[in-house]
Amino acid sequence: MGLRITKRNHCPLWQKIVFYAAAIVIALLIGAVILISIGVNPLDYYYQMFTMGTVGNRIGYKTFMNYLNDFVPLALTAVALSLAFKMKFWNIGGEGQFIMGAIGAATVAFQVGPYTPMWITLILMCLAAMLLAGLYGLLAAWLKVKFNTNETLMTLMLNYVALYILTFIADTKADWNFFLQEQSTRPVFKDFSEFAAFPAIPTGGKFELNICVILTLIIGALVYIYLKYTKHGYEIGVIGDSANTARYAGMKVNRIVLRTVFFSAALIGLAAAFKVGTTGVLSTTITNDVGWTGIIVAWLAQLSTPIIFVASALISILGCGCTEANASFGQVSADFADILQGAILFLVLVADFFTRFAITRTKKGGKVNG
Amino acid sequence: MAESYAIEMRGITKRFGSIVANNNVNLNVKPGEILALLGENGSGKTTLMNMLSGIYKPDDGEIFVNGQPVSIDSPEDAKRLGIGMVHQHFKLVDVFSAADNIWMGKEKAGFVLRKNRYDDIEQIANQFGFELDPKKKVYNMAVSEKQTLEIVKVLYYGAKILILDEPTAVLTAQEIRKLFDVLRTMKEAGHAIIIITHKLNEVLEISDRVAILRKGEYITTVDTASTNEQALTEWMVGRKVDLNIDRPQVETTRPLLEVRDLTIENDEGAVAIDNVNFYIRGGEILGVAGIAGCGQKELCEAIAGLRPIKSGQMIHKGDNIVGLTPKAILEKGISMSFIPEDRLGMGLAPSMSITENMLLKNYREVKGPFVDRKSGRAAAEQVIKDLEVVTPSTETPVRRLSGGNVQKVLLGREIKAGPNVIITAYPVRGLDINSSYMIYNILNTQKKNGVGVLFVGEDLDVMLSLCDKILVLCHGKLMGVVHAHKTTKEELGLMMTGALDLSEKYENKPAGVAKDTLFTDAKGGETDGTSDHEA
Repeated sequence: MGLRITKRNHCPLWQKIVFYAAAIVIALLIGAVILISIGVNPLDYYYQMFTMGTVGNRIGYKTFMNYLNDFVPLALTAVALSLAFKMKFWNIGGEGQFIMGAIGAATVAFQVGPYTPMWITLILMCLAAMLLAGLYGLLAAWLKVKFNTNETLMTLMLNYVALYILTFIADTKADWNFFLQEQSTRPVFKDFSEFAAFPAIPTGGKFELNICVILTLIIGALVYIYLKYTKHGYEIGVIGDSANTARYAGMKVNRIVLRTVFFSAALIGLAAAFKVGTTGVLSTTITNDVGWTGIIVAWLAQLSTPIIFVASALISILGCGCTEANASFGQVSADFADILQGAILFLVLVADFFTRFAITRTKKGGKVNG
Repeated sequence: MAESYAIEMRGITKRFGSIVANNNVNLNVKPGEILALLGENGSGKTTLMNMLSGIYKPDDGEIFVNGQPVSIDSPEDAKRLGIGMVHQHFKLVDVFSAADNIWMGKEKAGFVLRKNRYDDIEQIANQFGFELDPKKKVYNMAVSEKQTLEIVKVLYYGAKILILDEPTAVLTAQEIRKLFDVLRTMKEAGHAIIIITHKLNEVLEISDRVAILRKGEYITTVDTASTNEQALTEWMVGRKVDLNIDRPQVETTRPLLEVRDLTIENDEGAVAIDNVNFYIRGGEILGVAGIAGCGQKELCEAIAGLRPIKSGQMIHKGDNIVGLTPKAILEKGISMSFIPEDRLGMGLAPSMSITENMLLKNYREVKGPFVDRKSGRAAAEQVIKDLEVVTPSTETPVRRLSGGNVQKVLLGREIKAGPNVIITAYPVRGLDINSSYMIYNILNTQKKNGVGVLFVGEDLDVMLSLCDKILVLCHGKLMGVVHAHKTTKEELGLMMTGALDLSEKYENKPAGVAKDTLFTDAKGGETDGTSDHEA
């Protein structure tokens, strides 16, 4: 006469899907309760949110393009983070690495952009962003390898260092500061879209597919192959499982850690290059929190590359959809997306628990101790 | 049956998911009796005992303590019922003193540490003839002292029923004898004792009755006086088993691996291996005996290139291997497998599949950037077949296998690589009879193939019958190298505790130095091997 938690041996796929779907439905119900309490019809709101206002809207295609522009940096950052996480290197410095990548890309755009063809500028932007972000990540990895510092703390603090460097650039009006508009008396970031903007692939209609979407999908596939089938991927797996075993097997653990963290951070830098190459301007909120959300996405997907793409797509819908829906429902705060995201994350973790454990009733028992 | 039992378990069933760990098990112990619980790995002994100590709850069946039906929901309940368990892995706080470890778990201990706790605990220890310093910190204790502390702890809590899970696995022969004396004292004082062990000679020596489990099923309980090793083994395994360990005579080669004046420090910077000499020839098994933690691990790691040495030389077929990377040493054909206490720490990646673990040391050999999983799967299938590994598939994570199967996977991979020197530490640690014999056979086959084997072991009986020579360490010092067929357990025990030093037995030949050494120069210089050299 009691409830007990027992371990499941096997959870069939359909059951897993049911659990995860139930988690999302319950999260939406919780959101519905909040919406009703502030006098909004949840069905209307969710309709607006999930369609992101694209249905029956003359400029719906624009919203969808915006959505993809949100999706690209998030998916790429989450994929990049999963590389380090697989190795149990807790890189939570995605924000800082993204900012460094953005600064690198913007520098190239301003300094090289006016003198070279755009496609060369774009490639150089990507390389500069990857190098700068990669080195920034490497710093934390090197400290860990050399002095056994805690990478969680280091990458976390380096986030703020990067953010304040960007804020400093944003606030400082000076002759050397080529990032700002010369004409304006107040410090305002200068636009560089005339020198550097990623080309879009025309699709016949008004909708244009940014080439970064294609590139991100290709990179995702490459990372998947890298982790699953290559020697490097195998080494990452072994180190993540047991660094001692890796050393025993003759792997150069320190070198592999440095290499992998550099890759991870460089890919985040690339995500930043994609972002600034699309917006054409820096801003202090350039990251759109992908460094944080990317961690959530990577864990929601349990570090599986294909699922990271699915999770990024869903999380981006939440962000974009809420912004769109809020345009029609003024009384809903912009933070509603965060509430929903939190509820989904929490409930998906609960669902994850139920895929591994079952609650069973005990048959017998309950006698008094002698 | 008017007799009252201290503990009686009736029809106990315990399932983990679809796996039945215990099925309808009956067990009873009288006060003043020692019951041995016998069974192979994974036969459910520890699960059964964990239900007595309140860690698990049975799915079915009843437990009686002194004739009263009870429900044991937590370790606290077990303590209140007078049941105390000494686990295989000690549950002690390292930075606390002996007395504080005991005081910590005492009910109504109050908020203040009182001085008299030391006296209390000393008194209990003396009562049963234990030697225990209540003020000594756990991290300063030897394994046997920690075990003593665990036993004193449960006695202090008033346990009348004592469960010991493989208590002898970590002790020397002398320490085991001391433990058994204590157990007999407790038995006379009316305690009921359940002891889990794999060692049949110990079962016959200490117990009054033996209960046998096989694959979770209760087989029988017999009086120890009316049985023997052969009969017990057959009940346990379910068929006839040959209990003799072979020691085939093989022609030996010149030394494959020679170690000269080797000194190694442990992680704390203390000397772990102190000026040790030994050599291994092809076609022989050299045993390494010593109390747990006296430099075995450091020695294995140093040979495999995982730990820098302080001074000394190591040569393999005449080539210096000091300072080489683990990879380079692997490529020379030196294989090292070390089974640590947790069995998974070194040599395997626990979350990865058998296939992936097979690839651990040779994944680099294929050209190109990709890992050749096909060859890994073939190797996994081969090892599973050859060594009778029980696993659902080649893709099962190693962590899900039972201890014995994990060890087979590790050893199987090492042998498949075709090494010429095998360093193996505790390869049968915690294994049941059947699996242990399989491992001995594997090592003997390797020996016949001309491989040199360094066998770091715990069970002296096994080492005496399996090894050709035995090297004895005491606190990292070489106590001598003896021929297994010429020595005795007692002599080894004396050497292990440092009471007997045979390293200077022969004046003309220091222990562990081969006459036909491949060292070209005692100083490690590059003199010609053929020149007459007088040291």
